[in-house]
Amino acid sequence: MTSSPDDPDFDLIAHLSDFLDRGESPPDELLNTTPDHRLAYDALTRFRSMAQDILAEEVSELSADADSWVAGILKSIHRESRVGRTIPVSHPSPKAALSLTEGAVRGLIRAAGDAVAGTFIGSCTLDGDVAVPGSPITVNVEASVFWGERMPQTAKRLRDAITTSLLHHTELNIQAVNVTITDVHLRRNATPAD
Amino acid sequence: MSALVSDEPSNLGDAADSILVARAVDGDVRAFEVIVRRHGPLMRAYATRILGSNGDADDVVQDTFITAWERLHELQDPAATKAWLMRITSRKAIDRIRARRADQPLGEWDVAAPESESPHHRAEAASQRERLTRALGTLSESQRECWTLREIGGHSYAEIAEELDLPPSTVRGLLARARQKLMQEMEEWR
Repeated sequence: MTSSPDDPDFDLIAHLSDFLDRGESPPDELLNTTPDHRLAYDALTRFRSMAQDILAEEVSELSADADSWVAGILKSIHRESRVGRTIPVSHPSPKAALSLTEGAVRGLIRAAGDAVAGTFIGSCTLDGDVAVPGSPITVNVEASVFWGERMPQTAKRLRDAITTSLLHHTELNIQAVNVTITDVHLRRNATPAD
Repeated sequence: MSALVSDEPSNLGDAADSILVARAVDGDVRAFEVIVRRHGPLMRAYATRILGSNGDADDVVQDTFITAWERLHELQDPAATKAWLMRITSRKAIDRIRARRADQPLGEWDVAAPESESPHHRAEAASQRERLTRALGTLSESQRECWTLREIGGHSYAEIAEELDLPPSTVRGLLARARQKLMQEMEEWR
């Protein structure tokens, strides 16, 4: 048996595939014309579900040497593209020019937020002219909280942790820390269905 | 295995893609690492399927993550991170295929597939996946690519046609031939 566009089966396959690709079921009249039609359609749907499983099965085998592989990828990305604005830091000596990057401050905010149990900080912005010492700055963070946490309390703990960390590590004139809860999460380990 | 103590600091591995993407956009490499670990193996398997070889697939996935890092802020719906990454993966893999083809005389890329393997050999293959893999091995390169993009990647005919730079009617024909061939190969197993 060979397959060619002249093969009568060929058109049947293409025809049945068109239904599958549109997410429709072929009409019963077509499937019931001969047993072959039904067999062909069943085979096509079976291949489709196999195709969808095939990658999932291969994933575990490819994960063995993950560490060196991940390290290689992380080494190749351009981290310096995210440093953001430069924030001056005062120093007793007029000759010294110290500064902090906005990216570093965002890192501090994330670290402070992550230390609050059951929360993740998402995006984080500093509103205000950070380049000018003493300018009023508003911190806006988005956060995900653990399912079942009491949100007002969690938001307050986050706000306190972030404010304390920024007071301690920076000279920013923080006017407000706004926390927006954008998500709730479960522990992944507890949710195999993902 | 740590106990589920409510005071423990959050493990980034538990965070949703949307949080990780937001952090990576802000420059958090650790969050990006979680994304790489979470989705990288699937992308690698996908690239290997499209390209038919492992070595190029690693390069494709690395390229994909470099692009993803640069363009994460363009991701409209961070909940759709996986689909977005898979799409970039297939684009990058197709770029490789095009580059390969540029080195080959036209017309040779739809070369006849190798003959079916001997029935004896077939009887040894155990899993469905192995059988499908073997059956895919009998397709021509372009048939396999179209089939992989369609059935595994979920691309539409129009997208495949655009990506592979082929008329949609050719893609339809390649897919139909691929399915026909797979059916013959697989049915002989039953």
